[in-house]
Amino acid sequence: MRKTFLLFIPIALFLSGCASDGEVVAQDLWVKSSEMSIKGGMSAVYGTLTNNSSQDVVLVRGATEIAGVVEVHEMAMIGGEMKMQEIDGGLTVPAGKSIVLEPGGNHLMLMMLTDDLEAGEEISVTFDFAGAEDITANGVVAKPAEGGDEEYHSGEMEMDN
Amino acid sequence: MVSRRGFLASGAAAAAAGAVGAVAGASAAGVAAEQNLETFAANREAQFFGPHQSGIELDIQAVTNMVALDLKDSVTKEDMLRWMRLLTDDISRLTRGEPVLADPAPELAIGAARFTAYVGFGPSLFAKLGLDSQLPEGFAELPAFSVDQLEDRYSGGDVLIHIAADDPVVLAHGTRGLVRDSMPFASVRWVQPGFAHSPGMIPAGLTHRNLMGQVDGTANPELGSEDFNSVVWIDEGPEWIRGGTLMVFRRIAMQLDTWDQLGTPSKEEVIGRKLSNGAPLTGTNESDVPDLGARHPNGLLVIPEFAHIRRAAPVESAERIFRRPFSYDNGMNERGSMDVGLLWTAYQRDISRQYLPIQRRLEKLDLLNKWTVPIGSAVFAIPGGVQGSELIAEPLFS
Repeated sequence: MRKTFLLFIPIALFLSGCASDGEVVAQDLWVKSSEMSIKGGMSAVYGTLTNNSSQDVVLVRGATEIAGVVEVHEMAMIGGEMKMQEIDGGLTVPAGKSIVLEPGGNHLMLMMLTDDLEAGEEISVTFDFAGAEDITANGVVAKPAEGGDEEYHSGEMEMDN
Repeated sequence: MVSRRGFLASGAAAAAAGAVGAVAGASAAGVAAEQNLETFAANREAQFFGPHQSGIELDIQAVTNMVALDLKDSVTKEDMLRWMRLLTDDISRLTRGEPVLADPAPELAIGAARFTAYVGFGPSLFAKLGLDSQLPEGFAELPAFSVDQLEDRYSGGDVLIHIAADDPVVLAHGTRGLVRDSMPFASVRWVQPGFAHSPGMIPAGLTHRNLMGQVDGTANPELGSEDFNSVVWIDEGPEWIRGGTLMVFRRIAMQLDTWDQLGTPSKEEVIGRKLSNGAPLTGTNESDVPDLGARHPNGLLVIPEFAHIRRAAPVESAERIFRRPFSYDNGMNERGSMDVGLLWTAYQRDISRQYLPIQRRLEKLDLLNKWTVPIGSAVFAIPGGVQGSELIAEPLFS
């Protein structure tokens, strides 16, 4: 049985049974299904990462079976336009804090999709952290979504805001 | 079924505030109580998980959107499962007053406000997906009735998403989320908005009034009763429909201009009930059982031969339904005639044995037909509820 719901995905970081500090939790994960999320195309993973440990951890990369390339991206103003770019040195999740991956903000970028990613499909996503064990979330659901003013969003400027 | 904690707490706090307020004016407790009272509608939460989908066995909410959709050509059973995965998660979140995943406007998730949504399937869906063997007993398109003046724009549909809440903004936001997640699979065939009373207007369990002024829904089985189970919830047949029900939807236009020309006694004879409190013409309280044999001293029946409640009364004991009608108000024309009526819904185990015989009698003779015209019609089979990680209608499409 595949896990269907993604209400809350507590991921055990320390399989070897280390101390309870150092737990990173991924919540409300989803992956974008759009006209771009076709074989060879791109998508992105969003959600909330919470660092319950007493030291900062850094999301340096990710992996999923449906993408040839996965990068940690931020949206930045470049030449007067919001564009996305890989974050140098990864994305820090401060100790005791949460960060949100969201359209128009930080996200896990999926490129070179190995297959069409259709609405309602579920994938697995692995987050690679420096300073903590990697975590893998199953049942990350593909949501139909546009918006976020992300550069690869095709077509004219939309009045989303 | 509905959490009353917020409501009870605020009621108790309000009582306390009244006592305190008389002495201390705007005390902290008084302010808190007032705030609780102001947000009691936001904090009331319906139950999503359970043996039945939510939004049926529940006191009627303030506003509703009925959205009917038609499948895109290439949609398969596997696609349906992916659609149901999205809807199941969306509805569970919205019912808790939370935004859906990927919500572009999460700030609109301002409270549960008894948000509910359930999904149903029209006979055309079973034909398109080759699922005829899964059709529940007594489920088929309705025959044409002589009183019908049906319009396509209000009728039919492969899939129904029936959404309701106690707040119009919560309703609009939730509707948007569910429709957004439906667009990869289907197109909108029609949407019909409706309303009942605002929260706080009518005590729970009391029958609400339609726009003709009548209390509407008197003979309904009581929510939460064994009677309700036996009238509404299916417990046999294909797995997916167990815990579900069959719904008849009728958009019924009211001719208020001519209705309003009648005097109160005439209006009461058309229905067989008093307008003031819904009591049968042979009784004093709404819950009194109508005495269909009672006659005036002059020999005429007190509840006339043509009266709606006489014609609708069950001849066989099985001929009962649960009605949950919302009103609609679609504006007016240049002469001020209102385009109003009912989004009339009836729930039952078997349409052929419950709704149909009643409707056949009403079609033949019911004076109310003069002021009410069915202009939309559809039937939907509503799958049972979900628990844990189950998907709505999972056994149907697996």
